[in-house]
Amino acid sequence: MVGTRRLWSLLLLPGGLWLILLFVAPFGMVIAVSLGTTDILGRPIFGFFPENYQQVFDPIFIPVIVRSLAFAATTTVLCLLIGYPVAYMIARYAGRFKTLLIVLIILPWFADYLVRIYAWIVILGNEGVVNGVLRAFGLSGNPPVIFLNTPFAVVGGLVYDYLPFMILPIYAALERMDPSLIEAGKDLYGTPFQTFRHVTLPATIQGVIAGSVLVGLPAVGDFATALILGGPNTYMIGNLIQDQFTNGGFWPFGAALTIVLMAGLSLLMIFYLRSASRPAEATA
Amino acid sequence: MTEHLAVPAVKTPTVERRPPTMPELVSSPKPQPARRFDEPRFLRIFTGLVLVYLFLPILVVTWYSFNSKRSLQVFGSFSLSWYGKLFSDDLIKGSLLASVEIALVTMVVATVLGTVLAFGLVRAQSRANRPTDVLMLLNLITPEIVTGIAFLLVFSQLGITLSLGTVIVGHITFSIAYVTIIVRGRLASINREVEEAAMDLGATNVQAVRLVTLPLLWPAIIASGMLVFVMSFDDFVTSFFTTGTGVEPLPLRIYSMIHFGVTPEINAVGTLMMLITITIVLAALAVYSRQQRARLAFLAE
Repeated sequence: MVGTRRLWSLLLLPGGLWLILLFVAPFGMVIAVSLGTTDILGRPIFGFFPENYQQVFDPIFIPVIVRSLAFAATTTVLCLLIGYPVAYMIARYAGRFKTLLIVLIILPWFADYLVRIYAWIVILGNEGVVNGVLRAFGLSGNPPVIFLNTPFAVVGGLVYDYLPFMILPIYAALERMDPSLIEAGKDLYGTPFQTFRHVTLPATIQGVIAGSVLVGLPAVGDFATALILGGPNTYMIGNLIQDQFTNGGFWPFGAALTIVLMAGLSLLMIFYLRSASRPAEATA
Repeated sequence: MTEHLAVPAVKTPTVERRPPTMPELVSSPKPQPARRFDEPRFLRIFTGLVLVYLFLPILVVTWYSFNSKRSLQVFGSFSLSWYGKLFSDDLIKGSLLASVEIALVTMVVATVLGTVLAFGLVRAQSRANRPTDVLMLLNLITPEIVTGIAFLLVFSQLGITLSLGTVIVGHITFSIAYVTIIVRGRLASINREVEEAAMDLGATNVQAVRLVTLPLLWPAIIASGMLVFVMSFDDFVTSFFTTGTGVEPLPLRIYSMIHFGVTPEINAVGTLMMLITITIVLAALAVYSRQQRARLAFLAE
């Protein structure tokens, strides 16, 4: 049996090697470039220049980092506030329509990522649908209401991008939870809100945390939403990184930014994994 | 529609009729809350509104792609002219072909690699499982911008010219973990004894996998392959950093078009893309759930 097991474990090689060579190893390259500098043509030269990292925390860039974190945090909270009631409704009251509703929640996410962001220009643009409706009702003539290039548009777009990732884990947690717990809470004369606070929420906290990770982490690094729906005052860390690489920026600085972003997200990830590794407490 | 199902589940504790108790009098000043916090009607309306929010952009883009006028505010008459224009645009046709090509190659390679990896994880149960799991989780959770830049740096340092090939390598890398997770779930649920029974009947190890396990596994493999096709076809961020100067994949083409303003032509391309991806996702769901149902029917007998 040990022999066959060893044979089976050979199957780990192709996929595992692919991920190591093309997912892990490239990080090494990013680290190497982040510590380097460039020649006159902008090509990376390896070396040891930790000042690239100092530059990341330069006062000019602090607002960009703070803004990215604030946008991601707002997005996560909004997704939670919108997603929890939806997940709760589907898990408890949808009956035989559960699967249908879950499919309906996921399906728009599979419509092309870029087209979904672009659609908000169609809806919110100066010549867009909403301004057309407002004009038709005489609520706003000229000039049109400006929605785009504002933080609202970017956060709204981010919420739209990631909402299903909040709903699904919370739904799964609610499905796992014993519904009689809620009845028990009410039998003990808890108000609906108390029951929710002391029974339902603690029992589904794993889903809430998983959803927050799945929404928050990609939102911090998102750049297409701010690129398309935002303007100069919604510039996020993803846009700053992208500009270093595609708009004639300084590659080592871009690489340092990428490493700092990744390190920050990894810290959040470790926090999540540690809280996820003790699920027994939540259900006990 | 679900009223009959929902009502008994909600009304069971008769909150209104019992006498008020000490803790309640202390903690809640109003003995009868005017509106129940978890009332299904409120939740149902809210869920409906969220669904409208989720589908609105898709419907708006589709609707205006059939508008005879350029405007987004006035709907002239129903027209297919923007689609006609689309199919005479060589750049868009080239991008569409490139995207399909990328997605097909990505699908085949990632599905094979991911399935093989799933077999290794389920069957070997070796010490390498935990690190592989961590690797896949990291892969799923790393923002695409980070991996995209890592690819850009590696390719440029190794002197590899960016092309459709580099895009494909990028797409395969982010797709493997999805295949492995889907296929592994199904594989773990297949009883190992079925294979052993086949071997008792004289099948070799390879035959047992090919004739017994794979047929049970096909729906999961096909469904994950379709998912990979859609993710590759839709991908913007990884493609953004790994595309060369030649033909752009379709999402990048759309991005370039947005720079020149919103045109009904973009609505038409977008509608077409969404039609392709949503059809494939629905097909994948159908393939995956049909077997699930067949299994349930089998168990019921």
